[in-house]
Amino acid sequence: MAEDFLSDAEIKRKQTKHRINVHSLQLAVAVALLGSWQILADKKILDPFFYGRPSGVMHQLGVWIQHGTSIGSIWVNAWVTLYEATYGFLAGVILGIIFGVFLARNPTAAEIFAPYIKVSNSIPRVVLGSIFVLWLGLGSISKVALAFVLVFFPVFFNAFQGTREADNKLIANARLLGASKRQVTTKIVFPSALSWITASMHVSFGFALIGAIVGEFLGAQRGLGLLIATAQGNFNPNGVYAAMLLIAIMALTAEWLITKLEDRLLKWRPTQVSGTEH
Amino acid sequence: MSKGVHVKFSNVSKRFRTPKGDWYQALKELNFEIQPGEFVALVGPTGCGKSTALTLLAGLEQSSIGEVSVDGTAVKDIDIRTGFVFQHDATFPWMSVANNVGAGPKFRGLDPKEYRPLVQKWIAKVGLVGFEKHYPHQLSGGMKKRVALAQALINEPQLLLMDEPFSALDVQTRSIMTDELMTLWETTGSTVLFVTHDLEEAIALADRVIVLTAGPAQVKADFKIELARPRKAREIRFTEEFLKIYQNIWEVLRDEVDIAYQRQLIAPSEK
Repeated sequence: MAEDFLSDAEIKRKQTKHRINVHSLQLAVAVALLGSWQILADKKILDPFFYGRPSGVMHQLGVWIQHGTSIGSIWVNAWVTLYEATYGFLAGVILGIIFGVFLARNPTAAEIFAPYIKVSNSIPRVVLGSIFVLWLGLGSISKVALAFVLVFFPVFFNAFQGTREADNKLIANARLLGASKRQVTTKIVFPSALSWITASMHVSFGFALIGAIVGEFLGAQRGLGLLIATAQGNFNPNGVYAAMLLIAIMALTAEWLITKLEDRLLKWRPTQVSGTEH
Repeated sequence: MSKGVHVKFSNVSKRFRTPKGDWYQALKELNFEIQPGEFVALVGPTGCGKSTALTLLAGLEQSSIGEVSVDGTAVKDIDIRTGFVFQHDATFPWMSVANNVGAGPKFRGLDPKEYRPLVQKWIAKVGLVGFEKHYPHQLSGGMKKRVALAQALINEPQLLLMDEPFSALDVQTRSIMTDELMTLWETTGSTVLFVTHDLEEAIALADRVIVLTAGPAQVKADFKIELARPRKAREIRFTEEFLKIYQNIWEVLRDEVDIAYQRQLIAPSEK
């Protein structure tokens, strides 16, 4: 009997069909959840005064976009939170990498600093937000500082561990090929720690957003955190959800960008076997 | 091309701390010399300390007692006149084939304009034209080994150290690589110390085969291989001359292999 492999067009059609199925089921889950919330709230089984409802959230977003919020334009507030988180994130990632790689490459320095790092890591860092507001005032700098502190440690620990795990054989090979200590760090150790570092970046943008928002809770003049605090004070659950939705959009966009960056930086890795194909 | 160096091991002993905390002695009063341009194979039972001898000569480790010297100077650190081919893949996974081959010249601060043609030449020599932009994970084991060879040889090492370089390859690829190494080496004139536990490979390649005792390693016997060059490793192993040499050396090696095997049976956890 002749072999009858599927043609490329047929495989493509199968894959498209599978994708459509998955997406429509995902949509169905969302409709079911939001729909039952809406119905329960409309029938007063869930009190909309405390629990809000999807239509209320959309209405609230519409009001904010059309008329602005009590603390100014929604876009300005979203932008403030976004840049606080972004600056904190960038500072935390850069310094986390520098300190992590440096300490892992200098064991004596690592030994000296180990207890201090342990102590500072064990402090519940969100509490530092109060200190930062006292030190740096109600402006954005105190939020950037809190976001930075939250991002720094996970990146630092991953960079440190990734550097430690760099293959000794590769380091020996590089040295025999003539690499200086500095070249070993930049050309061998850093690339091999990169997959650890990018892994920590995925979680830490979320931490940066938490830092910015908690900072705004503790005292601010603008930002989505302040908007949430204000909505809470006015017994407006829809306002809290609406701000949450905007934050979630930011987090997902950042996650997408970080994944893109990761793919670029780690393009030398073998492609992961994907379970969804065929 | 490059001129080989003179190598001397004088009364070299080396011990390591085991994870359990006691000492393990890998080398005991090891003495031998290699003349400039000589190809020497070091054979011995598994775990006898062959690789340790190589790492001392490469400057990756220091001897506990005694001295390893190259051209009369004691080896204290890594010397960039030395090339090293590792047992397992040590190519840099984030560099393309071309960048892997060019890593040595780049680390040494050469001008890319100068070494790029050299990289191309070595890629051609090891038969990887067309794979310049590939990453190591896209290559087969044999191809990775070729990258490793080109990576070491592009620096024209005066001393080439090889630690069971082909042991991870399948038998067929292995004999092809042995021939290729032969062709590449015959034009360089560098001194080679080649560690292997494959006696056939050792005889086919080397001018001299040194047999080590079961660890701690000492020189048990030293054979000169009087087979004419250029040799074809794939065919030479069927000649009568070859078989005779093989038998002679195997007589000596067998006892040590037995000792090492008995020890493994008694203490399976120990190296």
